[in-house]
Amino acid sequence: MSIEIKNVEKSFGRFKALKNISLDIAGGELVALLGPSGCGKTTLLRIIAGLEAPDAGSILFHGEDATHRHVRDRQVGFVFQHYALFRHMTVFENVAFGLRVRPRRKRPPESVVRQKVHDLLNLVQLDWLAERYPDQLSGGQRQRIALARALAVEPQVLLLDEPFGALDAKVRKDLRRWLRRLHDELHVTSVFVTHDQEEALEVADRVVVLNEGRIEQIGAPHEVYDHPATPFVYQFLGDVNLFHGRVHDGHARIGETEVELAGGPDHPGSAVFYVRPHEIEILRDRGTGTIAAKISDIRPLGATVRIELERTDGRGLVEVELTRDRFANKGFLHGESVYLQPKRLRTFDHNSTLENTIGSGQFIAS
Amino acid sequence: MTTIAFPTPIGRSHAAARTNRDPALVRWLLIALALVFLIGFLFLPLAVIFTQALSKGWAAYAAALTEPNAISAMRLTVLAAAVAVPLNLVFGIAAAWVIAKFEFPGKSLLITLIDLPFSVSPVVSGLIYVLLFGLQGWLGPWLHEHDIRLIFAVPGIVLATIFVTFPFVARELIPLMQAQGKEEEEAAIVLGASGWQTFWRVTLPNVKWGLLYGVILCNARAMGEFGAVSVVSGHIRGMTNTVPLHVEILYNEYNSTAAFAVASVLTLLALVTLAAKSILEWRIKLQTEKRP
Repeated sequence: MSIEIKNVEKSFGRFKALKNISLDIAGGELVALLGPSGCGKTTLLRIIAGLEAPDAGSILFHGEDATHRHVRDRQVGFVFQHYALFRHMTVFENVAFGLRVRPRRKRPPESVVRQKVHDLLNLVQLDWLAERYPDQLSGGQRQRIALARALAVEPQVLLLDEPFGALDAKVRKDLRRWLRRLHDELHVTSVFVTHDQEEALEVADRVVVLNEGRIEQIGAPHEVYDHPATPFVYQFLGDVNLFHGRVHDGHARIGETEVELAGGPDHPGSAVFYVRPHEIEILRDRGTGTIAAKISDIRPLGATVRIELERTDGRGLVEVELTRDRFANKGFLHGESVYLQPKRLRTFDHNSTLENTIGSGQFIAS
Repeated sequence: MTTIAFPTPIGRSHAAARTNRDPALVRWLLIALALVFLIGFLFLPLAVIFTQALSKGWAAYAAALTEPNAISAMRLTVLAAAVAVPLNLVFGIAAAWVIAKFEFPGKSLLITLIDLPFSVSPVVSGLIYVLLFGLQGWLGPWLHEHDIRLIFAVPGIVLATIFVTFPFVARELIPLMQAQGKEEEEAAIVLGASGWQTFWRVTLPNVKWGLLYGVILCNARAMGEFGAVSVVSGHIRGMTNTVPLHVEILYNEYNSTAAFAVASVLTLLALVTLAAKSILEWRIKLQTEKRP
């Protein structure tokens, strides 16, 4: 079932949680609402569910206005951040709850309930836990039971609030792959909230990046990562180095260095350049368009090595990420003086506000 | 004071134990003090009640309890509790529910109002009703015209009891419900449950032990209340005397055997309440310990 969100606004007291949000979600899609805490993503999810009413705007399910439809009649499945399993019921009764509370004439007979609950528990691979109580389960198991319970009522839309937030790193990774596969199997329109960009990029078909109650960008994971629309998106989706400088005559001037720019429009004036740590080369010789720096810290992090450098002109720290192999080849040492060559500089129109930095140019350093 | 046994090297274990403990003298002194206090203020009075009650033998004891005025007092006490407890059960749940699960203006005022019967002297609570419903009171003349008697009659006693015992259930439930939050209720509603179904299947089972605890305390107070009931009762023997009032009358008439005999019934009630309360606390502890 498709969902249309039109011009939704929501305030809590004087705090504006959502400012004019519009978003279309196609049937069968898996969409991530991504943003820092307090950006309004959970509020938006709760408004879609009907747990919260918008102050203005409307929600359409399958083209029909559902803004004033009661939660109970929306046919949504909601998985809460802390699962909200019924603590005094067994896992079986938790999953069966949605079927047992139906009006008498719509309530399935006991045998059907049993069959269905067992099917769902098999789907989440936890049939053997049917007689346990929620407090006897691990976090990952509770999460899957919460999902099975939400699916029991055959929802048209599945909404998940920080579904992996409370789990440890390893379980989280397993579970999000599992969720992706489950979604491919069931094809129910799903929206999940997360503050973890890796999670959003890995699981979702489309990512909606939110900040301070506004949508910053909507796009496929590779789109938002490779072509961030705003500085916020760029910084939120990964580590980033900032270089303050100026643009003039097809050159970027950063400190004492001139970097020749190829392609892209020229915005004369001061600018901030964004460079990801893996988009910087470390050289021993002063090539073209380099910035002098000194290695201040070297930290191996699994498959990559993170190197922290201090610019010799005293304008702050730069972080560079190299693969293990490359690092081993070069053999950089702590305290060594080197030259940084940004491979890719990105700038956003410096004087405009966050909302309308559309005319961003992408420059490739020569 | 508890000490935790760590597998420490032998040479250091004594020193470690000593730093974790108060000196022996202090410990024994405190224990002795507590014991003297308990004996003097709890066990001795308890013993006195029962020895005095039985000082003229079992026959006198039984006679004091089966005397018509005593029986009527017990009936009235049970009646007052039987009305007050269920009503305050419903009020308490309703008040705790709105306070714990909803945000609304005037919430802290409501919490203060619920506590009012605790903070006001019971005698004052009784007086309030006399001033409201008594013959000289605000609503007295109107009630008299319509031939409704509240003060110096059974309804007044029931009203005073309800007022005095009002906070028990609500006070017990509010922190419990607040701690549990409303996610489970929201989950139930998303799954299609109606308000009633959510209440009966999710909210109530989650607070059942706390609720029972509140009811037990409420009942003990309803049966033992003296001050407020004394003011509105009028002390009409066989009509508006509750058990505590009956004890007072007997005592004032120097009929101490009978007074203590009737008092022993109230004491037994207190002991049963204490036992029930301890069992409940133990059950609640078991329940919470099961959770990781």
